[in-house]
Amino acid sequence: MLWIPCPTCGRRPVEEYRFGGELRGVPDRITDPIERDVDYVWMFDNVAGVTTERWFHQAGCRRWLTVRRDTTTDTVLG
Amino acid sequence: MPALETLPGLRIVASPEALDAAPWSAGTVVLRFAPDDAFAIGATAVDIADDHAIVAEESGFVGRWLTREELDDRLVTHIEWPLPTALPALAQGLIAGVPAKLWLTTDRVLLLCAAAYAAELADRLG
Amino acid sequence: MNEFVERRLTLRWQQAKRAYDVVIVGGGGHGLATAYYLAARHGITNVAVVEAGYIGAGNSGRNTTIIRANYGIPEAVRFYQHSLELYQTLEDELDCWMMYTTKGIIWLAHTETAMRAERARSLLNLACGAETVMLTPQEVKALCPQLDLSGGGRYPVLGASYHPAAATARHDRVVWAYAQGAMRLGVHVLQHTRVTGLLRDGARVTGVETSAGPISAGQVLSAVGGNVSTLAAYADVRLPIRTHPLQAFVTNDYEQAFQPILSDTELLCYVSQTERGQMLIGAEFDAQPSYSLKSSFSFLQSSAAKAMHLLPFLRNLRVLRQWTGICDISADFSPILGETGVEGFLVTTGWGTWGFKAIPAGGELMAELIASGRTPPLLEPFRLDRFASDQTMADPGSTGTH
Ligand SMILES: Cc1cc2nc3c(=O)[nH]c(=O)nc-3n(C[C@H](O)[C@H](O)[C@H](O)COP(=O)(O)OP(=O)(O)OC[C@H]3O[C@@H](n4cnc5c(N)ncnc54)[C@H](O)[C@@H]3O)c2cc1C
Ligand SMILES: [Zn+2]
Repeated sequence: MLWIPCPTCGRRPVEEYRFGGELRGVPDRITDPIERDVDYVWMFDNVAGVTTERWFHQAGCRRWLTVRRDTTTDTVLG
Repeated sequence: MPALETLPGLRIVASPEALDAAPWSAGTVVLRFAPDDAFAIGATAVDIADDHAIVAEESGFVGRWLTREELDDRLVTHIEWPLPTALPALAQGLIAGVPAKLWLTTDRVLLLCAAAYAAELADRLG
Repeated sequence: MNEFVERRLTLRWQQAKRAYDVVIVGGGGHGLATAYYLAARHGITNVAVVEAGYIGAGNSGRNTTIIRANYGIPEAVRFYQHSLELYQTLEDELDCWMMYTTKGIIWLAHTETAMRAERARSLLNLACGAETVMLTPQEVKALCPQLDLSGGGRYPVLGASYHPAAATARHDRVVWAYAQGAMRLGVHVLQHTRVTGLLRDGARVTGVETSAGPISAGQVLSAVGGNVSTLAAYADVRLPIRTHPLQAFVTNDYEQAFQPILSDTELLCYVSQTERGQMLIGAEFDAQPSYSLKSSFSFLQSSAAKAMHLLPFLRNLRVLRQWTGICDISADFSPILGETGVEGFLVTTGWGTWGFKAIPAGGELMAELIASGRTPPLLEPFRLDRFASDQTMADPGSTGTH
């Protein structure tokens, strides 16, 4: 099971959180402004590996946090 | 589990420094929900050194004081995460699957939750 | 796949060649069905299916096998109805018993809002050729006597929509039958061969890099389920896909017959009985994207609690097995098939938690697209470029994770 450390509340199971999406940029190789918008709105990196993402501690302090997670093992990195 | 009762108080959202420095009257229990968010049980006024602070009467929480034994006997099996050992401390998270909070002191414990969840929490704790 | 099964099928494993007309990455239902229809309908047999593990190792061997066409938008209903009709004759076409059983699916409604949604769904389904009718609580009870109409006092049943053609089929038999059908016609299926990159000539994709060396190809189709973003990234193709785990579990045998498939979109769980008599229970997918196949206790706990509101007899059964698959869920909850903007590289993806029922139609229509170079009308709405042109096919309420 996935445990996520909250700086205010401590280490908690994933059920206490809401997933807020990956933090990502639009790849530099996409230069057309409209294509960049499409990418920003619809596309995901969906990385198999380490990703940086936002989580909301809904059942605790109700604050957003940024988490680095390995999606292949579902573990949070320090 | 006897009913949880309304806990009137003040809710203050302000800069962490202003909350750290706030002059609470002696004996007031102040729960720091987040660095910038505090709930002062029973308080009616406070002087906060932050021009942008929001200070409002809070009547949305219900709670009940328990003994440490009641905590061990009735609550601990419903809590998946480790309780803090350095006391006093606020602990918040799911208890029996309901968002709730504990104010832990050496001799007693306050269980509290948002009023909307009170019936469900009491029901699940049996 | 074990030796026992292999001896009963005629699967002739081949040595990899250096080049094929078409290389399909991923030996799940969609990859194998596409290979079969390329050979059977279009005479294109110089085809390889490259599979990292064993065929059916992905979601095609992990799903809860529900086949139905009661979707929420016309484009989807027509597509899934076509797939359901192909399934109905598939045992004959592939000469293989797949345990295809028509059961009917009941979608429960507990609120007036849900009743309105189900009424709208059934009218839309009817108009698009997929029979769906509304049932009263008493009619639901007659079809499913074990159901507690009070929903444990908490989720009262106000009614349901009912789609009588819904069915189940043995999932690995579907996979093996398509593999056998394709291999008999000369298709190569290369197991334990992982694709690790794509060969490029400029932007064009000209083949695959594999754990057993490079293989060149006229066209490459990605049919890798939850791993699609990694594969597409080799071709610099961006996808509106997130990979989420979906779990399910079975109990020990329930000695009575449980006829229909019971689904609840408000509680987000569904229940059916396997041919062996076990109760099979599924629920919503995990909230965070992940490639991990770990199952969780909290899933078991929450989905068991939901199902027991409806079916109190489940209390007396034991959990036998729980498992996970990783699902390619698209941003509009509809599949994505066809061209990617990169020459020589196509995808069949976005099958998410509901693509088992789509295997025959997905395979048949992808094969037609590869063979003819033209997108068949049933696939037209599901092109990748719909996101750029603001013509998304939003259908989140119909997928119901099964
Ligand atoms: C628990 C669960 C329940 C479900 N219930 C239903 C249901 O009731 N009804 C329904 O219609 N759908 C259901 N689904 C969804 C359905 O299973 C999938 O949508 C469908 O099986 C997808 O088939 P596929 O061929 O696209 O992918 P998969 O079957 O996942 O096949 C992809 C294959 O690609 C291989 N692969 C991956 N990467 C590589 C690589 N780099 N190189 C080579 N090979 C690679 C994998 O090993 C795998 O075998 C469920 C899914 C799950 C997990
Ligand atoms: Zn927190």
